[in-house]
Amino acid sequence: MKHDKIERNVGWMLVMTMLAISAGGLVEVVPLFFIKDTVETVKTADGRDMVRPYSPLEQRGRDIYIREGCFLCHSQMIRPFRDEALRYGHYSLAAESKYDHPFQWGSKRTGPDLARVGGKYSNDWHVQHLTAPRSMVPESVMPNYPWLLKTNLDLSDLTLRLKALRTTGVPYSETQAEYDRNVKQFGEEVAKTLHIPDAEKNLVAQAQAGNYDNNKDNISEMDALVAYLQVLGTMVDFKQFDDDYFAKFR
Amino acid sequence: MATANVVTGEQYNYEVIRKFTIMTLVWGAVGMLVGVYIASELAFPFLNFDIPYITFGRLRPVHTGAVIFGFGGSALFATSYYIVQRTCQTRLFGTGAANFTFWGWQAIIVLAALGDVLGHSQGREYAEMEWPIDLLIEVVWVTYMVVFIGTLMRRKQPHIYVANWFYLSFILATALLHTFNNLAVPISLFSMKSYSLFSGVQDAMTEWWYGHNAVGFFLTAAFLGMMYYFVPKQAGKPVYSYRLSIVHFWALSFMYMWAGAHHLHWTAVPDWTSTLAATFSIMLLLPSWGGMINGIMTLSGAWDKLRTDPIMRFLIVALSFYGMSTFEGPMMSLKDVNALSHYTDWTVGHVHSGALGWVAMISFGSLYHMLPRLWNTEMHSTKLINVHFWLATIGVLMYITAMWISGIMQGLMWRAFDDYGNLQYSFAESVAAMHPFYVMRALGGAFFLAGMVVMCYNMAMTIRKGNTDGSLAVAAA
Amino acid sequence: MEWLLWFTKFENTKPLALLIFFTVFCGILLYLYGSRSRGQRLEEYKNIPLQDEDKKEAQS
Repeated sequence: MKHDKIERNVGWMLVMTMLAISAGGLVEVVPLFFIKDTVETVKTADGRDMVRPYSPLEQRGRDIYIREGCFLCHSQMIRPFRDEALRYGHYSLAAESKYDHPFQWGSKRTGPDLARVGGKYSNDWHVQHLTAPRSMVPESVMPNYPWLLKTNLDLSDLTLRLKALRTTGVPYSETQAEYDRNVKQFGEEVAKTLHIPDAEKNLVAQAQAGNYDNNKDNISEMDALVAYLQVLGTMVDFKQFDDDYFAKFR
Repeated sequence: MATANVVTGEQYNYEVIRKFTIMTLVWGAVGMLVGVYIASELAFPFLNFDIPYITFGRLRPVHTGAVIFGFGGSALFATSYYIVQRTCQTRLFGTGAANFTFWGWQAIIVLAALGDVLGHSQGREYAEMEWPIDLLIEVVWVTYMVVFIGTLMRRKQPHIYVANWFYLSFILATALLHTFNNLAVPISLFSMKSYSLFSGVQDAMTEWWYGHNAVGFFLTAAFLGMMYYFVPKQAGKPVYSYRLSIVHFWALSFMYMWAGAHHLHWTAVPDWTSTLAATFSIMLLLPSWGGMINGIMTLSGAWDKLRTDPIMRFLIVALSFYGMSTFEGPMMSLKDVNALSHYTDWTVGHVHSGALGWVAMISFGSLYHMLPRLWNTEMHSTKLINVHFWLATIGVLMYITAMWISGIMQGLMWRAFDDYGNLQYSFAESVAAMHPFYVMRALGGAFFLAGMVVMCYNMAMTIRKGNTDGSLAVAAA
Repeated sequence: MEWLLWFTKFENTKPLALLIFFTVFCGILLYLYGSRSRGQRLEEYKNIPLQDEDKKEAQS
């Protein structure tokens, strides 16, 4: 109880200040890493995870979303209000962003929320809208992104990216054992897309099959970005749950 | 650099402070110019010109980086080095190290801006810089800490003046926040790209623990340190109550860190976290206002200075804006208010009433106080300080008024229902309704920028007639 | 790490936060305003910024 000491001794001052500024973070942030209820369990009837990591093409689309700073104007977090339910859909679950490194909830809606934009518009709509937003929505203040169509998607560091994500804990598989685990957790079809050795093959296959940018000759950044937008918010099938199931976790 | 070999040079290391002071104004002008430009992009989207490097999404972090870390950061380096030397009555510890913090910090700002423009983003608001820049920040910051604490340790004055406490907690907290918020896995040693170590809820919580406390310690605590030195100096009277300043310090340091999660009301973060954060946000009102009153009451008995001294006016108006935005902040952290204000321009307005009204104004006042002393002369023109003051004040008021109206309007339009229970407005209609206010905001920003340019001119003229060897000082007055 | 769960319950954290905050706060207040002589000593420190004028400024 000698404040005098603290005032006169830099060491004490440092320790006391450190204590004062650490308390809040320790109590609020740290528990979130340990409490199981923080992130909901969202499984199908046969016990498989509904929320899966992004496919290589979607993940590359997400990289472009981050590169262009989309999160500065678009949120990805629907709040549990009636107007947001009508406008955007079911409120966002913690589980839905559990493979998001980093999270992209955003803090501002200069444009609308995108948490459930997947499946709302056609691929063609997205391509046209990203290239020239005001041709689709005259009131829009979004920049044009014409270079997305013209730029080929860089695949050179694809496996490096997935491996880094694997290091952070996203269940992309490198070995047979990990692949088998994924089959159990997500089903075979999804597990295949998460296998790092086949990443490029899978990416090309998804881009060809989806034909997101309406041009089969190349895989553009547009292909990746639209693939990402189209998967947003579509992983959880809310019809399979009671209305109050998710309320338990809040 | 020229060797300063006369008395002043021996006594204090002013050289590094001069450099930081100049860069404060340069980054201020650059950052605010970019700010005005991106504000105009929102009003007139053709200004994006289909050039990737200048789209809103890439320029916005250039704006925030240049004003927070370039302008604010340089101002804090300059004033902390000035205050710690003069209140400890000793020369700055480590001349080389201090110089390194200058060049290191400037390199960081330039690299961060280049990275933003080229699309290297971590995807974290206010921490967009990728991992190599983050590492450089870490090194520079530790050096800063060594210089600052080293100077405190060789002080000639037994007591550490309270302004230094605030700077110290700012340095510590920033180190802590920066380190934990930027934990990431680079995809390779030769790539700028990295992925954040945490995901989803935990990542969100870490980011806003950082984001809010960057405001709390970088933009508040440190600038309060500035206030506790420059307000008494400019008034020529000691601070109103020293004991109140001690209460202020401990309460603020302790409570700020709890408040971050109020940025995540109604999200997928557990309710208990954001409720706890809201509780502390309300309590924060007390130390914030305690500090404001302490600053303003310093002037009691010398109120006429407000009429005669434009520097004093900057300092006191800054404190008033501080009081206003620290009242607005807790109010917006109430869950019901937040439901309306979150995601809207109201937040942007709130940030700018703090950033322009408080942070920038207190810096302007402090720099106007420092400039003549650093260059051993008088300000080139007091009239221009006055012009700057009015441009800045009109600018802030226009800015925040526009954002209040547009923010509240947005919030109300989004939640409006018609008689049949359907949404009354499409999102696009709310965007269209924002247009006049986006124009007004850009104009307000332009006013503020104009004031900044006036200050740059005033500084340049002052430096031209000043000197750094202290030999001609007496002639000035 | 199970003990951390204790902090997630409102009935625990609310009084705890209040208790910690309030005791420390009272301690600081008591220290600052409890003794007149100490108060006077502390208030003297507020003159530190005004003592730092170097000679040249004193002349000007």
